[in-house]
Amino acid sequence: MNVSTSDAILLAHAGFGVMGCLAALWVFLEALNAQPGNAGRTRAAALVTAVSMAAAWICGGYWYIHFYPAEKALILQGPWPFAHNLFMETKEHLFLITGMLAFLLPVVTREKLDSNAAARKLVLTVAALIVITGLAVEGAGAVIEHGAKVALLRGGAKGDR
Amino acid sequence: MNTATAPESPKLTAATSGFVLAAAIAALFNTALAWARDAYAPLNGIMKSLTGNSWTAHCLADLVLFAGLGFLFMKTRAAEKIDPNRLIGALVGAVAIAGLGLALWFAFV
Repeated sequence: MNVSTSDAILLAHAGFGVMGCLAALWVFLEALNAQPGNAGRTRAAALVTAVSMAAAWICGGYWYIHFYPAEKALILQGPWPFAHNLFMETKEHLFLITGMLAFLLPVVTREKLDSNAAARKLVLTVAALIVITGLAVEGAGAVIEHGAKVALLRGGAKGDR
Repeated sequence: MNTATAPESPKLTAATSGFVLAAAIAALFNTALAWARDAYAPLNGIMKSLTGNSWTAHCLADLVLFAGLGFLFMKTRAAEKIDPNRLIGALVGAVAIAGLGLALWFAFV
């Protein structure tokens, strides 16, 4: 097995992103059933969301700056240039919104959700936005990787002829 | 939730309302800055000169704006006066406009 630093960082980026989405979903479910007894768990899940998204941001940012330029050149020469031009360009900016929402979640979960309907609605909204934008970013990541894969496969097939 | 013992309170704290408004503004700013960087190449050069990479500068600008406005709105209690439902609507609207704005820009411009 040969796992390079680039591979490990990229997988950590995706893994932390998924963990952040799942933690936001956890917050959503806790807020649906808000009681004084689950306030601590809700805040802990919000903190896990923020920490996971921060880790995904750091790993993704490091990989994007140090390893992506070579993959970008490959994608742009391949049959799926939109994997960079549309999906990566959108992803690298949309993720910043997901990250800020993740940092907002621990702030809004400090409210008393069991007795404040507006705060509960706000937490449900922020958590849902994190899950929706986070899944969109994860999907874009898959398209980008497939863009690199088809560039290699079809480029290799041409070279074999 | 036990509504019989816990009366509903529609108010949000100054910190919550302040940071929600800051997030809505920062989301829109994020998309506007992405458009500006894509449309005006010299801006990328300026941002790159600040941090070594224009995307890193973009991240820092977003975070500084989000945190700065959040603390400002919290201290001044400016966002506390806004109805919570309007604040939630503003956040959802800002994220939807910012997200679709990014996708449509990079798809068609």
